[in-house]
Amino acid sequence: MAGFADLSLPQGLDKKSLQSLLEAAAHLGYSAVALNHVVDFKEKKQEIVKPVSPSELFPSLPIVQGTSKRIKVLTRLTLVVSDPSHCNLLRSTSANIRLYDIIAVFPKTEKLFHIACTTLDVDLVCINVTEKLPFYFRRPPVNMAIDRGIYFELLYSPAIKDSTMRRYTISNAISLMQICKGKNIVISSAAERPLELRGPYDVANLGLLFGLSESEAKAAVSTNCRATILHGETRKSACGVVYTVKKPRKVEEEETPLPACKKAKTQA
Amino acid sequence: MSMPVPPLRRLHQVPRHLLVCEKGHLRHPRSRHAAHVRDHAYSCRVSFLIPECGILPEVLKSTIADVGEYYLVRNLSVHELVAHEFIDAFVKKGSCYALTYNTKIDQDNTAALLPNGKLMLSVDKDTYEELGLQGHPSRYSGKKVMRYIITIDLTDSGFHPDSKKHKRVLWALKEKKPLKFDFLLAWYNTGAEGSTLMSYFSKNQIKALKPKITISTLRDLQCPVLQSNELHGKPEESCSTEELFEWLGAVWNQVSLDNKSSSFLSTYCCPQPNTVVEKAFLCTITGFIIPEKIIQLLEQLCCYFGEPKLAYWLTLTVHGFADSPVSWRESEHGFHKGGENLYNFVIFRNLDYWLQMAVGTNDDCPP
Repeated sequence: MAGFADLSLPQGLDKKSLQSLLEAAAHLGYSAVALNHVVDFKEKKQEIVKPVSPSELFPSLPIVQGTSKRIKVLTRLTLVVSDPSHCNLLRSTSANIRLYDIIAVFPKTEKLFHIACTTLDVDLVCINVTEKLPFYFRRPPVNMAIDRGIYFELLYSPAIKDSTMRRYTISNAISLMQICKGKNIVISSAAERPLELRGPYDVANLGLLFGLSESEAKAAVSTNCRATILHGETRKSACGVVYTVKKPRKVEEEETPLPACKKAKTQA
Repeated sequence: MSMPVPPLRRLHQVPRHLLVCEKGHLRHPRSRHAAHVRDHAYSCRVSFLIPECGILPEVLKSTIADVGEYYLVRNLSVHELVAHEFIDAFVKKGSCYALTYNTKIDQDNTAALLPNGKLMLSVDKDTYEELGLQGHPSRYSGKKVMRYIITIDLTDSGFHPDSKKHKRVLWALKEKKPLKFDFLLAWYNTGAEGSTLMSYFSKNQIKALKPKITISTLRDLQCPVLQSNELHGKPEESCSTEELFEWLGAVWNQVSLDNKSSSFLSTYCCPQPNTVVEKAFLCTITGFIIPEKIIQLLEQLCCYFGEPKLAYWLTLTVHGFADSPVSWRESEHGFHKGGENLYNFVIFRNLDYWLQMAVGTNDDCPP
């Protein structure tokens, strides 16, 4: 049981609305949120910009209700891909991509869904909830994604805004559940206003509607989000085990002279 | 493609919860009512309801006012609770209770000190792996264990200042992974002289707090008719314990009991058979209340029936903290969608009692 997290808050808003969104999230009990920067390749070629550092945007973060810790703000990048050539950006070692904490991909065709689940180096695969799925989920790519530690993301704020989208959200979610059996699901809002945010226990209840069990639904808002964030952190390390940190340069001290034979051993 | 359990069927299932009912007599030599109260260490709210009572007798008033204060210490490191000065001054002389404040049992690390000298730490996976102390996985954590419980017995004979155990625990809590929380503290002194909690923690920001008391009187309340020897109720004659439990919840939450057609909030009706009492006295004490004080209050409520009274029964309800790591004795307590762990006494005129103990989803059956 980890802290609750909401991994999708839109970044493109002005500072004041973002601040009110953050306060609403902290008041509802979320310990971590991720600011989502969406890049859509259908439009003209877009550059991937460096993520905005949360400490610059928000001088003081609100305290999570019921605890004495401050809310954590992460950065996330979502790539909307509708053509295989768009994935090349992920394969290239672009410096800016590495600066984001979480990387998500939104595939629009079945082939791209297969590629995202099996080969792409991402943390989240977004599932379309605003329109009828253009393709059916199949077991092999979904199982491969679960093995690789990739999570599937469902959004719930479109369901709050419009009743047609509510039907699509539930039907798409249920068809996903039949294949993945409730594993590796993350539910997040894409709330643009504080009113579209819902508390974590309510979102867990929404998971019950999608067909998750009680423990799976609660994990979709807490444990699975923590796993996604850790999966994103492993991208910044070697094999998920070794980290490199820039050490401040210290003035080198005089080394005590070691006996000659000992020095030879250490150099071997 | 094989169909799993149809998703909608799960919607009809409610989260698991348990209600245990017990019957006894308060003056019976082997009555276990005091033991049950003592086993439930942390209570945040004590409330009692006396039908047909307008003004409280003086004895009860003074008992309520005497419930005793508790202390809130900010930013206290856990290793200070393991220090031998603390153990000798407070844990071994009397009953010391400590519980972390403002921590959620399903999200953060929590610590609790039980009166029998056991320190329970309920930590998440990362903290457990960094801390390095021996513990066991939580029972409510599922296949991928996310929560561990570490129990340290402070009164163990093998825990003296020079032992390896003590050194390891101190090293883990002081240097390896220092844990700091806001603690709620209370100490029941069995008469021994010594320092008080205020003076011991004067370096930290310790504050003494008194429990909050709210009193109200309800008029024309519908009360169910109960018979002390009929736990399950007799049709047309008395109500069962489950019906009483629901009715009590409705009264405390100010839900109307008459199923008015204009009300969209609730269709709850007072169970039949019921009588209408002219007035009823409600009192709630909120704070960090220790079991010894609850036993005193229970005794005084028994003495209420020493003189002839109109009421046939009265109730005393005690709520535990939703975020405490233990419910009764050392059974683990978890928070799934709700963290209730409460018990309710119904005391009859003839000093029979009903005891109902209720827990939520991630909890063991109460004793």
